[in-house]
Amino acid sequence: MKKTISRLFSTLLAFTLLAGCQAVPPAETARDEHAVTVVMPPTSEPEAGFDPAFGWGAGEHVHEPLIQSTLTVTNPDLTVGYDLATGMEASGDGLTWTVTIRDDVRFTDGEPLTATDVAFTYNAARDASSVNDFTMLDRAEAADDTTVVFHMNRPFSIWPYTMATLGIVPEDSYDPATYGSNPIGSGRYVLKQWDRGQQVILEANPDYYGEKPKMERVNLLFMEEDAAFLAVQAGQADLAYTSAAYAGQTVNGFSLLSVPTVDNRGVNLPLPGFTADSRVRQAINMGIDRQAMIDNVLNGYGAPAYSVCDNMPWYNPALAEVGFDRERASALLDEAGWLPGADGIREMWSFGRAELTIHYPAGDSLRQALAAELSNQLRELGIQADPKGVDWETIYGEAYRTATVWGWGAHTPMELYGIYHSGNEYGYSNTALDAWMDEALACSDLELSYTLWQKAQEEIVKDTLFVWLVNVDHLYWVRDGLRVAEQKLHPHGHGWSIVNNVDQWEWTM
Amino acid sequence: MSNRRKSTLIWLSLSGVLLCAVVLAGALLGERAITADFTRKNLPPCPAFPFGTDWMGRDMLARTVAGLSLSIRVGALTALASAVLALALGTASAALGGWVDGAVSWTIDLVMGIPHILLIILISIACGRGLWGVTAGVALSHWPALARLVRGEVLQLREAPWLRMSRRLGVPPGRLLWNHLLPHLLPQFLTGLILQFPHAILHEAGVTFLGFGLSPEQPAIGVILSESMGYLAAGRWWLALFPGLALVGVVALFALVGERLRLLLAPASAQE
Repeated sequence: MKKTISRLFSTLLAFTLLAGCQAVPPAETARDEHAVTVVMPPTSEPEAGFDPAFGWGAGEHVHEPLIQSTLTVTNPDLTVGYDLATGMEASGDGLTWTVTIRDDVRFTDGEPLTATDVAFTYNAARDASSVNDFTMLDRAEAADDTTVVFHMNRPFSIWPYTMATLGIVPEDSYDPATYGSNPIGSGRYVLKQWDRGQQVILEANPDYYGEKPKMERVNLLFMEEDAAFLAVQAGQADLAYTSAAYAGQTVNGFSLLSVPTVDNRGVNLPLPGFTADSRVRQAINMGIDRQAMIDNVLNGYGAPAYSVCDNMPWYNPALAEVGFDRERASALLDEAGWLPGADGIREMWSFGRAELTIHYPAGDSLRQALAAELSNQLRELGIQADPKGVDWETIYGEAYRTATVWGWGAHTPMELYGIYHSGNEYGYSNTALDAWMDEALACSDLELSYTLWQKAQEEIVKDTLFVWLVNVDHLYWVRDGLRVAEQKLHPHGHGWSIVNNVDQWEWTM
Repeated sequence: MSNRRKSTLIWLSLSGVLLCAVVLAGALLGERAITADFTRKNLPPCPAFPFGTDWMGRDMLARTVAGLSLSIRVGALTALASAVLALALGTASAALGGWVDGAVSWTIDLVMGIPHILLIILISIACGRGLWGVTAGVALSHWPALARLVRGEVLQLREAPWLRMSRRLGVPPGRLLWNHLLPHLLPQFLTGLILQFPHAILHEAGVTFLGFGLSPEQPAIGVILSESMGYLAAGRWWLALFPGLALVGVVALFALVGERLRLLLAPASAQE
């Protein structure tokens, strides 16, 4: 018996050795020069499918829809460029936008893309009113085959940014029930296959009107972070998302790609209690060592954040001037009447102790670590902060009175409006700030509106709403030889943004 | 026989001491268990940190001990609560009979018919999660087995000659219960209580692991284990290994003690 077993083992061993000799990694030889496999988090899989009217490409995690064309695009510097559009103009009162489009575009079913399809798409998205906010749009209509006219309910100067998110669908064959899983567009890729919960396969659109995609086949896999790392180790992916927790590892044949972002994390203030005093908020804003936070929590993969829109065209760089000065912060807290008590925590006799709770979403280890680091740093200032992991329901329910580690960052100034304008969920309102932002929206010139958004941020810095902490770099494992095209600053969400320009990626070896 | 009694006693006192030590140490290390210090993050086990540290630089030894201590407290509380519930319902059901018996038996069947973990999750969510949610969940789902045992025992005892005689002699029901019934139920109750304990700990950790129990900033074993999952692929084995072993150790110890106590107290095996 023993002999049989040992014989069996030696045979097995011999086979493994033989196989080992021939072990030219299959991935090396079989690699398709024009295909790439990308791993994304499972949360990136679009629940409602690839239907722009139900959030594909838009919503909180904005990215290019790939399968459909958009009227405009955002350039690498986040100014606005054209995709389908050839020109656009707003009327003097800002209530009408007229956009002309190319006449040489066809959907993948062979039908030409005309202004009627554009108008249809916008009206459908407005009516579906899912994650897209189209409340400013009254109606869209086609003036002729290549001219679309948008009638607005109110002036909306940043409409070009909204136009960059909505993919155009064909009016003739669009059926909301089936379009999500069977999309027809005019974009760079067509959906070849979608295995829910596993993968999406995109293939280059042979009739694309623009430059021919270099990557003809894109396989997208949806995996948890640890599975993604294992897939990279096994050589099953060419590019996979990862986080600072894995950044210290080395994988043969792969290197780490770090993409700068506007994917920020920050904490909402003011709250009832000691942060109601703007001097306290300013002290916290200048008393935080953002670089230490980046080194400690992000292993260096990040940049300090001073606003919700760092380095966007509408960002006011003056916000970064606050820098880091713990001594001045302490002096400011003293001045505000909050003096260190026996245990080092500041107090004021009529208000009690300087303490607050910091919520973070349970299960988000990055925000948990940021909350812990923030708590450590606040203690240096004499403020006691207790991190607490809760579910989203609690977070939203208590946002008006509990500090929370939020994550934002989008390619539209509308985000500033949503966070800071009266009616926000943090219960904050400032009439001067409202006025600047309303003026920015009412403005008929996009360039001019940037300066108005910047004015609004001056108001924000005066009052120090929110303390912004870091912009989290998006990290990826990239197989050696894969050249990933230049990325624009990624918005919040570690998913589809990376493949915005997958058509321009190349294998260099 | 005396040998088993002695060794059981030794095991029992040993685990008692261990239990108290862990609870005490957990209370002392509570602060240390949640202190994040990023200058010492991701350290593998070393003399200064025998269990290593996690991605926030928290001392895993302190976290493990504090977690066990929390688990033991939750376990003791829930085991006691469910055992008392079982005793009360089981006795009432058998002694009162009629519709009470019907209602209790029906409830026992109902609770036993639902998978434990599901029931605990439901009750925990309904009670707002957290410490009390888990405690309520585990306590309310673990009484039926013991209750059924107690009920059977009381049904048997009720017909015992000496009990029938006392009843005929006019002993009031309260005294009958206290003097003649409960002393006979004590062995079942005690073993039930102790055997309930490892069950309660495991379920607390399980529900917390799944995210329906204690909140993530608390150093509970379930929290520690579920956090460690994300770092196993990065090679941080110590985050799961030591807390897992500690949990298994405590559970195994109490299962062992409970089993020995059962052998000793149960009439069928007491004289072996």
